Amino acid sequence: MTTGDREMTCAEVRERLPLRYYAPPADGRGDPVGRHLRRCPACAEDWAATRRALAAVRAEDAFPRESEVDWDAFARDTAARARAAGRAVVPAAGRFRRWAAPAGLAAAAACLLVFVALRQTVRPSPDRAAFTPAPGMAGMLRQNVARQAAARSLREGRALLVYLMQAPVRCRRGDGTLDIALEKERSRDLLRRLAVHQGSLGGAEDGRIADLLGQMESLLLQVGTLEDCAGPHSLDELRAAIGRRQILLRIDLVTRDVEGGTSRA
Amino acid sequence: MNPIPMPCVVPVREEGGVPPDDFALMEEVGHDRDGAFEVFVARYQRRLYRLAWGYLRHHEDALDAVQEALVKIYLARASYRPESHPYTWASRILANHCLDVLRRRRVRPAESLEAAQEAAPGRDLAAADPKENPERRGSRAEFRRRVEEAVATLPESQREVFVLRHFEDMTLAEIAAARGCALGTVKSSLHRAAAAVRDRLVRAGVRGDAALS
Repeated sequence: MTTGDREMTCAEVRERLPLRYYAPPADGRGDPVGRHLRRCPACAEDWAATRRALAAVRAEDAFPRESEVDWDAFARDTAARARAAGRAVVPAAGRFRRWAAPAGLAAAAACLLVFVALRQTVRPSPDRAAFTPAPGMAGMLRQNVARQAAARSLREGRALLVYLMQAPVRCRRGDGTLDIALEKERSRDLLRRLAVHQGSLGGAEDGRIADLLGQMESLLLQVGTLEDCAGPHSLDELRAAIGRRQILLRIDLVTRDVEGGTSRA
Repeated sequence: MNPIPMPCVVPVREEGGVPPDDFALMEEVGHDRDGAFEVFVARYQRRLYRLAWGYLRHHEDALDAVQEALVKIYLARASYRPESHPYTWASRILANHCLDVLRRRRVRPAESLEAAQEAAPGRDLAAADPKENPERRGSRAEFRRRVEEAVATLPESQREVFVLRHFEDMTLAEIAAARGCALGTVKSSLHRAAAAVRDRLVRAGVRGDAALS
């Protein structure tokens, strides 16, 4: 104790009792708390109450159903499940690797041949070439993949907004605020992904998707500015913004188009 | 000190025995040495169950979470880096898994405690000795509920330190190593947790010696 030569007060001693239960001093010497407890009946009674209360906290009370478990069987079952999962993952990956490399090379070669053949046979007029840059087959595939990924993110963003418009969980502090901590975390993840999509959607056809991504970004940024325990009014503002933009409906329409492979965006 | 023995019975392998050190054990798990993962599971499963229970407050969900987290740990064993203690690594995987479960369930821990108690209201009484005096049986059930609540309502970091010290009998230095934090942090968390548990039980007029004798 760092109280110098000064005697410790009862308050100082009682403050140290809980930790003393778990980390008692090595011996009685240099133990001002122990000396105080020997002299002060009130603190000694407090110390006895602390020991009684903490000693009474037993695992079977704190975790009442733990003793029902056959832990040896649980361990065996868990290890077996883990090994089965390991076997399911590794050989599959091995099989994939065995045929994926030659198949990938063959597909790339085929794409290259088609691309060369198209370039030799189809000569776009200078006007058309200036209006829409010919992306080639690989470029079209890439655009399609980017469009699908953007649509997925829009759907996830839509689900998040729908949840926020409905019934978020109330915060534990019981003051009527709503717990949106998880939704904020999710919106941060989505924002990172949206930035990637916006960089990969270059075609004129992707205008509607890009526009929705921009609006979604703005709404997610708004979610990010809210408190973890958000007041009902701040959520009302967000709901109003979602309603004004009719973004849920528009996302629905666009993602259906993309899923159907007929994006006319 | 609470006289509860260490809960995890670690089976001893015939060849070479169990690595006494958690890092050495984790290295063996990483190399998929025969029986190493079984020892890992046996060593950590109950500790992880208590952690999961703290999040989920539901027995079956906690067991499922522990099992699924241990499967994830096994599949990710090659990605473990010994900069952190194996328990720290395992507990983070489990904690993330529990948060996912809560996210899906959309119920916060404080609410699910009540739900769990509502789901099994007579659990304590059912487990009691039928010859026991009904009044005494009732006070035992009340005592159990108080203890369960006192531990369950601790903040996560305090609860974890309290559980490791009180029930697992780990030293403060071991806890600091396992959680990857300073000894002073462990002391302060433990102090706050123990004071909160004591105050809750004392305020409720719980006399542990009377309730358990």
